Parts: sequence; C-alpha cells; structure tokens
Amino acid sequence: MKKLIAAFVLLLFCRCSFALENKLELSYTYLYSGQWDKAIQAYNFSRPFLANQQPLFMNGLNASASHIFKPHKVFSYGITVSYLYFRSSVKNENFLNTLNLHFADIGWLVHFENTEKPDGFYSELAFSAVSSGLFRTVNRKSFRYDGARAKAFGIGGDIHLKAGYEFSAKNNFFISPFAALGYTPFLFSPNTEGVINQTTGLTGRRWTGIVQVQAGIALHWKKET
Amino acid sequence: MNRRHFLRQSALISAGALLLPPALLEACRKKSADEDIGFGGKVLIIGAGAAGLYAGYILRSKGIDFEILEASSAYGGRVGKINGFADFPLDTGAQWLHGKNNILGDLIAKTQTEITLDDSAEFFWFNNQITGTLPDDIEAIFLREDNVPDVSFKDFAVQEGFGNEYADIVEGIAGDSGAAASRISAYWKIQEEAAWNSGDDDFKFRGTYFDFIDTNIAAQVKDRIQLNTIVSKIDYSQSSVVVTDSNNNTYTADKVIVTVPVTILKAGDIEFVPALTQEKTDAFAKIGMDAGMKVFLKFSSAFYHQNIIGGNTCGAYADEIIGKTGSDHVLLAFIMGEQAERLTALGSDSAITSALLQELDTMYSGQATASFIGSQVINWTTHPFIRGAYSYSTVGMGNARETAAQPVDKKIFFAGEAMNYNGNHQTVFGAVETGYREVINILNSVKK
Repeated sequence: MKKLIAAFVLLLFCRCSFALENKLELSYTYLYSGQWDKAIQAYNFSRPFLANQQPLFMNGLNASASHIFKPHKVFSYGITVSYLYFRSSVKNENFLNTLNLHFADIGWLVHFENTEKPDGFYSELAFSAVSSGLFRTVNRKSFRYDGARAKAFGIGGDIHLKAGYEFSAKNNFFISPFAALGYTPFLFSPNTEGVINQTTGLTGRRWTGIVQVQAGIALHWKKET
Repeated sequence: MNRRHFLRQSALISAGALLLPPALLEACRKKSADEDIGFGGKVLIIGAGAAGLYAGYILRSKGIDFEILEASSAYGGRVGKINGFADFPLDTGAQWLHGKNNILGDLIAKTQTEITLDDSAEFFWFNNQITGTLPDDIEAIFLREDNVPDVSFKDFAVQEGFGNEYADIVEGIAGDSGAAASRISAYWKIQEEAAWNSGDDDFKFRGTYFDFIDTNIAAQVKDRIQLNTIVSKIDYSQSSVVVTDSNNNTYTADKVIVTVPVTILKAGDIEFVPALTQEKTDAFAKIGMDAGMKVFLKFSSAFYHQNIIGGNTCGAYADEIIGKTGSDHVLLAFIMGEQAERLTALGSDSAITSALLQELDTMYSGQATASFIGSQVINWTTHPFIRGAYSYSTVGMGNARETAAQPVDKKIFFAGEAMNYNGNHQTVFGAVETGYREVINILNSVKK
C-alpha cells in the first residue's frame, strides 16, 4: 500500500511540470442507496417509541479537487479527489440520533473539451476508488459499546459523468456550473446495517449500490506552458 | 443558444437543483418500511412473550387490528419477576441485557431506564478448588473463528486436548448458551458469534427486565391480550385463518403470528391444517432447547464469589446483588442442559435446593448450609407452555432457523427468539427483532 501511495505521489509531482489546469468544485449531492434506505426504513418502522422518523441519507455536500494534465488536447487526463458528507439526524424526547456518513474518493478522469473551437462546454468521466465511514452519535455523544465507537467502513468503486460550461472570470481563472451523475455499483460496507438498525442481515445485503446526482460550481485555474 | 442565454439557464438550473426542497425529494422515497402498504385485516398473535408483545406494539402503531392469545395466566413469556424474596426484585427469566447495540438499547436510552454494567469477576471450581484462572484457557477455543468442526462443545473440548477435569467447566460454558455441552454445536455457535453485533458487555436492569418490558412495551398492548387461552389448532386452509383454543373457542384472522417457544412447535401441541411440511417440522426439531432453571438461594452472609463456573450440580452461580440496590445476600444458581434435567428429576424444590447447598458446602466448607435462609426455584422446564430455557444450535443445525421462520402460505408467520436467524436468538431483543420482522413480512405479503 505504501508503495502504491508513493508511486501515485511521484506521478503527481512528475506530471505537475506539465500541469495546465487545477479545479476545485463544490456541489450539492443527492444520494440514493437502496440498502441503506432499507436499513433506515426498518429502523423507523421498528421503533414506534420514536415519534419523529430518521431521515434517509439524501442531501449532502461534496468538495473535490482535480488536476488535469493536458487540457489543450480534446481528451486529456487527470486525477481527482473528493469528499462527500451526508447527515441524518432526528430529535426525539431524550434521544437525538445522528448518523454521519463520509465518503472519500480518489480517481482518474478523462476530460473532454473542444479545444479546436472552444465553446466553453466540457465533460468528464471519472473512475474512482471509494471509501466510506459511517458513525453514530446519540445525544451528541459518539455511540460506543464494548469501549469502541459504533462504526461501519466501506470500500468500493465509482464512475462519475460530469458536464459543465466554463466561462472566463479573470485571466486564467474560470468558473463553471456543472451537473454530474455518479454511480457506485458496489460498495462493500458489512457493518452499515449494524450501525443504522443495530442488526445483521435482517434488512438487506452487506453491500449497496449508490447513485448520486450533483449540481454545483467549479473554479478552474489554467496555466499555459 | 448564445453564451449569455446558456449562462442564465444553467444558473437557474443549478439554483433550482440546490434549492429543491428536501421535502419534495423525500416525498419520492419512503422513510419507513410500511409506507404505501394498506392492510385492513386482522392479525392474531399466539403468545405474549417479548416477540408477541412487540409485534402487537408495532401493529398498534400502524393502526392494524390485532389480538394476542396467551396460554398462561401472565404475559411476558420467559421474562418475569418475583418480589418479596429479597429486598430487591429478582428476574425469574431473562436477566442480562447482552450488549446495548440493539433495539432495546435505544429504548433504554430513550426512556432513560437505569442499567448497570455487570463487570463481576469470574472464578472457576476446578480440581476441587476455587481459582481465578485455569491452567489452560478453555473459553478461547469456543471463540476461535477457524477450523472448528460441527461437533458438540464436549467433543470439541476433548479434540482440543482438554481432559475430563474440564468437563464441568465445559458444561458451565455450554450452560451460558442454555444447552448441554453434549448437544450444542461448537461450529454453529461460532457462526452465530460472527453475526453478533450487539456488544460483549452484559448489563443488568436496576429494576427488572420484566419491569422494563412491562412499562415500555406490554403497556401498549395489554388491552388486547387474552390470557389463559391455549391454542390447539390453526386452520389456514381457507382464505381466513381460524384459530381454535382448548375450550373450542374460535378466532378468525387474516394473518397469524406464532411466537410460542420452539418446544411447543416441536411437540406438535398446535395442530396446523393443512399440516406443515416435513422440511418445516424437521427444522423445528433441529433447533435445540434444553431444560433450564434458576434457583435463588438466600443466605445470611455473602461467603461466595461473584461468579463460580464449573460446578457439577450447577454450571454457573452468580451473585444476584450485582447491579441491584439492596442488602440481602442472594446467590443465583443458573442451571441448564443435563444438569437441569438431573435436578428436575429430583422431583421437588427442596431436593433441588439441598443438592445445590451440598455443592456449595463442598466449595465453601459448609458455609452454605450454615448461613442458608431460603430458596426460590424457577424451573422453566416444567412450565407447561415454555418447557425449557432458550434455543441453541445443535450439531448439524444448518439453516434450520431460517427454514423454521419462513412464513407459510402468506398467512402463518413465525417469531420468537428461536426464529431469529441473524445471530440474536437466545435474547429478548432477538425476540423483539422477529416480532417486527414478521409484521414487515405480513405487510409485504399483501403488497400489490
């Protein structure tokens, strides 16, 4: 693993000398995850003593950074890292239950734009490795048992398709609204049901597929070489 | 489309997406498993133990008509209490909350019910003396995750090189799972441990488990419980299900949830019409449920250790005052499997008490008899509608629990701790999980 990270960092720095575009993105993310919906639905169904129901994981925030190596080609390539955060929280009498779901992605992207006749449109296809972490708090304290925090980690793969339109703001600085569709066909997170509904194998599978729809703003810095 | 036009449009689309009210999006996805499922029928629940009570609680919360038929004169099943024997209440059945990462843990937090961690020390009766440690860690072999054959605890211990001097220790360990060491499967026990997610800490209620269930669950459904109603037949051959009791009274419902102990199903005390499949009855037969009893021994002084494992008459003794508020000295004899069968065969509570005192006298040089005040024997084996302690997985168990729990003809549903195939059988919260699971199954069965 250390060798892999070292190789990745080396590649990044080595290609920086040719780097022509860096991009920061901030977006709203709508998430759909069938298995996690099931776990929350079972939680809500099974606890009539909680008058207010736990929201599904649905609305979240995404921040990502991309580094594109050759944007003056029609197809260019880059790397991307991103972080997503979702929160599901509900207050009942004596019982404030909060689920915090984090995703961290790192991946490789193909960037397409018509550099022959620039019209501002661009699109991207990204393939990422995804890791996730789910944590629970009750009454604002980490829910712990057996001396450890209740947690569920996951790992999987993701494909993202993005389209945007950039316009020049100042010199090499560009802004673009964009929309993206993400699909994680497989995220293995065996203990997610154990954190959400406190059961194992009762509500569904140990893995899930995830669909994300994003809309946001990207800031681009382009550097001529 | 010119650039300005596009920018304006894309800005509007982005803003629209960002400001789209979450409520609108949420409306597209249901928050609870029962939304959009209409069920106007009636559900009969057979058995007012934890599973039956909780199933009723869920049905009431969803506005579904139901009735609970209980064979005995009290609700609670294997959760009960006695007052007056000591200056603190005693749990006659389920006593420990095994971990708190479970649905009852949430209910405890919500209701601010007081529980305390039972971190009492463990001692062993080994080679005729009490010791804090054993020469070899026999408990570790039952926690191993690989190379465990589907043989009994007893055989597995022998295979691992533990001699006859460990036999009573193994019996005590098996007894913790409600079984005789010669019958419970080492392999399946470990598979179940792998699915266990509730936590390893044990907690005790400051009051009793029964008080907690009574106040927070039974209170919601008491008015729908009919006691002293022994169900003898369930006829599901027609579109409605007709349930007949021992007095030939009939009850009609659209769905029935059977929550009786697996011993009742194994014995065939309830006739199903049409008869259940051979596969189903074989599955019931594979689920073990041995004899079990709790004997409370009251003494004038606490001469004993907090926990003693490995007695030949009783596999495990535990100091009852742990986690309670009181000053009386009560020692619990927790007897399962073959040991419970032997004591039951003695035929009287006084004979059972004498046998236990004799063993304690051996351990503590006669102090037991010298300071003995009284005893209370709770023998679940002889309870006509329970007939044992709790379920365990036998050698060759396979997926018997899952098979046993499968609904029949979308009309008969099975719940109760023995029907929990997610690793939480033997527990009250495991029973509760099956209660709500079967209501979900009922609603799914009527989904169009």
